[in-house]
Amino acid sequence: MRMLRNELCRDIGYLSINHIGEQLCGDHVDVVEQDNGVVIVLADGLGSGVKANILSTLTGKIISTMLSQGMKIEEAVETIMATLPVCQIRGVAYSTFTIIRIYNNDIAEIYQYDNPRVIMFRAGEKYDYPTTELLIGGKKVLRSDIKLMRDDIIIAFSDGVEHAGVGNHYNFGWTREDIIGYIKPFLAANYTAKTLTTILLEEVERLYDAKPMDDATVCTIKIRDRVPMNLLFGPPQNRDDTKRMMSLFFAKEGKHIVCGGTTSTICANYLGKPLVPSLDFFDPDIPPTATIEGVDLVTEGVITINRVLEYAKNYLEDNKSYEDWSYKQDGASKIARLLFEEATDINFFVGRAINPAHQNPNLPINFSIKMRLVDELTECLEKMGKKVKVVYF
Amino acid sequence: MKVTVCIGSSCHLKGSREVVETFRRLIAENDLKGKVELGGTFCLGNCVNGVCVDVDGKTFSVTPETAEEFFSNNIKGKC
Repeated sequence: MRMLRNELCRDIGYLSINHIGEQLCGDHVDVVEQDNGVVIVLADGLGSGVKANILSTLTGKIISTMLSQGMKIEEAVETIMATLPVCQIRGVAYSTFTIIRIYNNDIAEIYQYDNPRVIMFRAGEKYDYPTTELLIGGKKVLRSDIKLMRDDIIIAFSDGVEHAGVGNHYNFGWTREDIIGYIKPFLAANYTAKTLTTILLEEVERLYDAKPMDDATVCTIKIRDRVPMNLLFGPPQNRDDTKRMMSLFFAKEGKHIVCGGTTSTICANYLGKPLVPSLDFFDPDIPPTATIEGVDLVTEGVITINRVLEYAKNYLEDNKSYEDWSYKQDGASKIARLLFEEATDINFFVGRAINPAHQNPNLPINFSIKMRLVDELTECLEKMGKKVKVVYF
Repeated sequence: MKVTVCIGSSCHLKGSREVVETFRRLIAENDLKGKVELGGTFCLGNCVNGVCVDVDGKTFSVTPETAEEFFSNNIKGKC
C-alpha cells in the first residue's frame, strides 16, 4: 500500500476468471509502481485463449512500460495500434484497454478504450466522473481527470463481467446499473480491494452458471487512510531484553496483537494485568483467544499464525477463503482481518526464544518453522501492498 | 472446584479441545455446573506431558482418551 503524499494510500486488488475450457486468460492486468504513483492497465484481447492472452499481455505491457517511462498516452496508444499482430480470421488487431494512472498528488487519470466504463464510488455512492472524448489514431478514447478523495473506490472490469448471465439469468447480461447495485452494499464493510474484486467475480461466475462464456476481470482500487498495526510473536531470545521489547512494542502507534501462550503471559506480567483465556473453540483447529486489558487481541502462537499464512497465500490467489476469515471469531480469522483489511503499515516484533517444549520431533511447531512463518507471512503481506517492518529480539 | 485446561500450542495439538468438550459434557450430565469452574490457561510449562489439566493447584496429564475416566476419578468423585 504505497503512500500518497497526503498520507492517503491505495489498495489495489485484481483477479480474472477464464473462458470455460481455457487455460490462459484473454484479459491482462499490469500494475507498474513508480516513484510518483502507479500505472494500472486492464487489457482485454480479442477472443479467448492463447491469441487473446498474447494480445492483452502485449497491450498491457507496452502501455504500462511506455507510460512509466514518461511517454504520452497518445504515443503509447499509437504504438499499440501499429504493433499488435493482426488476427488472421478477423483481419484486425484488437485489444481494448483501460488505463488508470494515479499520481502522488492524488489525481487519477483514466483512459478508456472500448472496455466497459470504469465505475467509481465516492462516500459510498456512485460517482459520475467527467469524461472527455479524444481521437487517437482514429480511435475514440475517453479521458477523465479526477481529484481523489479518501474512501474513493474505482472498479475497472472487462466486458466478460457485463456479459455474465446473458441468455439465462438476464436477457442482456449484467448491466452497469446491476453491477453498481450489487457491489454497493458491500462497500460499507471493511473489505479490501481484492475481496471486493472477489465478491464481484463470484457473482459473475454464478451468473455464468460456473461456465464463463468470456474471460472476466475485475480490478478494484481503494483510496484509504494509512493504519498502523503491531504484532508481537514469541518471547525474546535473551530474557534481559523482555522489558525493552515490551516497551518498544507498546510505544508503537496503532493496535497491538500478541501471539503465543508464553508471550502473552510475559505481556500480562509487563502490563500488570490478568491474562484471561477463553474456552471458545470457534474453529476446531485454532486454539481459543484470550484477553489482556490494554492489548487488542491475544491469541495462541504457531498454530494460529500458520492458519493466517494459509489465508494470506489464498488471498493472493483466488481469495476464496475470505468467506471464512472475513467474519469468523477464531484467533486466526481475527488476525487476518486486522492485517489484511485494517492495516497498511505492519510492525512485527519477533522473539527468537526457543521453547524447549516445542522442540519435540512429534510436534509440528519447532523454532525453524516459527521463523519460516514470519518470513513467508511478511512476503505475502508485502505482495498485498503492505509496508512491513520486522524486528527480532 | 477449579479445573483449568491448558490451551497452549502443544496441548492444543494433543487434544485440549476434545478434553474441554468431554469435561463440559460431563459437567452438564452430572449437574455439576455450580460446583466445577472450568477455565482455560496458556502454557503450564509441562508441554511434554500434555494435555495439562490443573485441578485446584495440582497439575495432571490427560489425553482425550483418558478424559472421561479422569473426570470420574479426580473431579466428580471429589466434588
